[in-house]
Amino acid sequence: MSFDGYKTTIEEGDTVILYLTINQVYSVRAEAKTTSKKGVEVDNVFQTPYGALKCAELIGKSYGSKISLSKGWGYVMQPTPELWTLTLPHRTQIIYTPDISMILLQLEIKPGSIVVESGTGSGSLSHALIRSVKPTGHLYTFDFHENRVKLADIEFSQHGLSDYVTVAQRDVCDCGFGAELQNRADSVFLDLPHPWQAIPHTLDVIKESGGRICSFSPCIEQVQKSCGVLSKLGFQEIQTMEVLQTSYAVQTKRLPVLDLDFLQSEKDGSESKGKEREVVKCLTAVPPANMPGHTGYLTFATLPPVWARNLQISLNQQESSGELL
Amino acid sequence: MDDNAIKVGDFVIVQRQGYTKLHKLKEHGTLSLGSFNMEMDNIVGEKYSDTFQMKNYPGSKKLFTLEKVDEIPSVLSINIEKSGADNRNITDDGQSQNLTTEEIAKLKSEELNSNNIVGKLITNSRTFNEKTEYSQEKYMKKKEKKYFEYVQIRRPTIRLLATMFYRQDPTKTLGIRSDDLSQIITYSNVQAQGTHLLYDSGTSGLLPAALLNQIGAQNPAHLVHVHPGNECQKSAIVAMNFPQEQLARCINVNLYSVLRCFYQNKDAYNSEPQCKKIKLDDSAPKKPGWQIENEKACRLLEVGVDSLVVAAKEHPVSIVDQLVRFLKGGRYLVVFSATREPLQDLYNHLKERLDFIYIRIVSNFMRSYQVLPDRTHPEVNMTSGGYVLTGFKLVS
Repeated sequence: MSFDGYKTTIEEGDTVILYLTINQVYSVRAEAKTTSKKGVEVDNVFQTPYGALKCAELIGKSYGSKISLSKGWGYVMQPTPELWTLTLPHRTQIIYTPDISMILLQLEIKPGSIVVESGTGSGSLSHALIRSVKPTGHLYTFDFHENRVKLADIEFSQHGLSDYVTVAQRDVCDCGFGAELQNRADSVFLDLPHPWQAIPHTLDVIKESGGRICSFSPCIEQVQKSCGVLSKLGFQEIQTMEVLQTSYAVQTKRLPVLDLDFLQSEKDGSESKGKEREVVKCLTAVPPANMPGHTGYLTFATLPPVWARNLQISLNQQESSGELL
Repeated sequence: MDDNAIKVGDFVIVQRQGYTKLHKLKEHGTLSLGSFNMEMDNIVGEKYSDTFQMKNYPGSKKLFTLEKVDEIPSVLSINIEKSGADNRNITDDGQSQNLTTEEIAKLKSEELNSNNIVGKLITNSRTFNEKTEYSQEKYMKKKEKKYFEYVQIRRPTIRLLATMFYRQDPTKTLGIRSDDLSQIITYSNVQAQGTHLLYDSGTSGLLPAALLNQIGAQNPAHLVHVHPGNECQKSAIVAMNFPQEQLARCINVNLYSVLRCFYQNKDAYNSEPQCKKIKLDDSAPKKPGWQIENEKACRLLEVGVDSLVVAAKEHPVSIVDQLVRFLKGGRYLVVFSATREPLQDLYNHLKERLDFIYIRIVSNFMRSYQVLPDRTHPEVNMTSGGYVLTGFKLVS
């Protein structure tokens, strides 16, 4: 229940984010019991380097407050899509916040939007899409993997988001998006191995007044094939980009200053040997030694409204005349 | 109700190839787009995403009228007779084109038909047939772009405005690039509920428009938009054609004025807002609009806000220090700066405060790609973004 809006107090069943340090952030559930990997019901105790946390004790605490652990302390935060992206259990490779942010902006998603997504994957992007369309919009998300669909459904329910999302098992490349969604979507997001097979189906699901599409692909070959199909089908403004984020650690560096002037004349024995070395203090920000170098290519395009589509197709044809696709 | 019809008074984006410009549509008016001046009258009543052909105004060299087109006449693509294998024998001496500048200008003013003009340029080019196929294609695309006679009318959206403002002059929006903007929106956790506080000292209204857009229509959320001037910058806000009820939930107040009201005029905003019916006393002086807005803002600030976003050309520490007391515990602070040093100062300041955790400074590498068969590569030109600081305020 803890993803919907702003909450003050932790309730039973809430997903809670436990913050220990900047690199140690975890998600737990405020419940007394949990099921172990072997399917046995056990006490829900979360082990940390600062001591054990009995998750039942979280109930009634305030979001944003400090909690004591036997060897230290931590903080509990209400989950946001960003925190969920960092702490969710991966069933697939997920999309991270820098890409998610760009997708939300480029797809022009706002409260009331109808968004279609495939594949659901581990639900990382889904949570951010839901936040954007609430309360009057809706996310329809599809995955062809039965278990992923099941898990996503359970998570949305546990998070209190079921009103805003519908998960279904479907191979959208084969079957399209279904008759119920005919011409209803403002935006479509594809994260599929063969998106060019699904793109033709998007013409049926996007509103007649037009809409936006995004395809996320790790490989450039996938991007090339997708762009080719987008152009043929009359999409405009086809743009491919990548976004990579660098984080900085603020540090005050102390740089010793070497005094080299004295070398210009002969030593006359009068310099004090114990002279203090000058130090310059420098406030700077240092990127990490390792950081992501590639996540995927984001390809965006606009599907013009039906009244402008044929014109766009002929414009695209003129542009690509002579190209072999 | 035709939502898609273009009406007088609408703000529209006029797009010619990659070039976009914001324009407020009057009943009779002209717009200058690059070197072209066009009469916009014929757009009224048509639909968004319609394409119009620029037709030379009889008797004028530079003025064009717009005529709606439903289809591009299928012109036979320019036939390339032959191409070379590589450029080993081609010298760029500036003498390849036989037509003079005046002759080309004459063609342009007679009839702006890109196919026709490009065809003539190719016919009169000495070196065209020696170029490789790819080079010929690149040449044709470049010339077509220059003489392209079609414009499209687009409805303004945040991403179109952000890209347009950045391309025209990044300083007009404090250097906020689209990736910066997208992350300011997500990290601040702005939603269709709650109260959100923004200090913005110069983004041409892009940030308040983006946050107001994320708040959405028909819900109880508010945006308190604090600015340092007499009037807030509004370009992007008006361009978005927000409905009145949504605009009413964006409360624009001056920084000094609202803080003075908050601390010194507690009686004014603590009492319930007076109903118009009760105020029958004509002798009571009417409150100026800005004072009413200040009081509205103070009432919201007193309850506390659910996000704080700061994008300032001034040093952020003193601003954050003042405004962060309005931020509820358990919520996020997002500060944008085009340069990193002010955020480094803010980082250390927040660390000393003890009521902030999860403080991060990030910046982004953003690059576009040219995707063409056998010619896919990152684009040759790149832009630079700014820095975003985020932090989580603890509950005391």
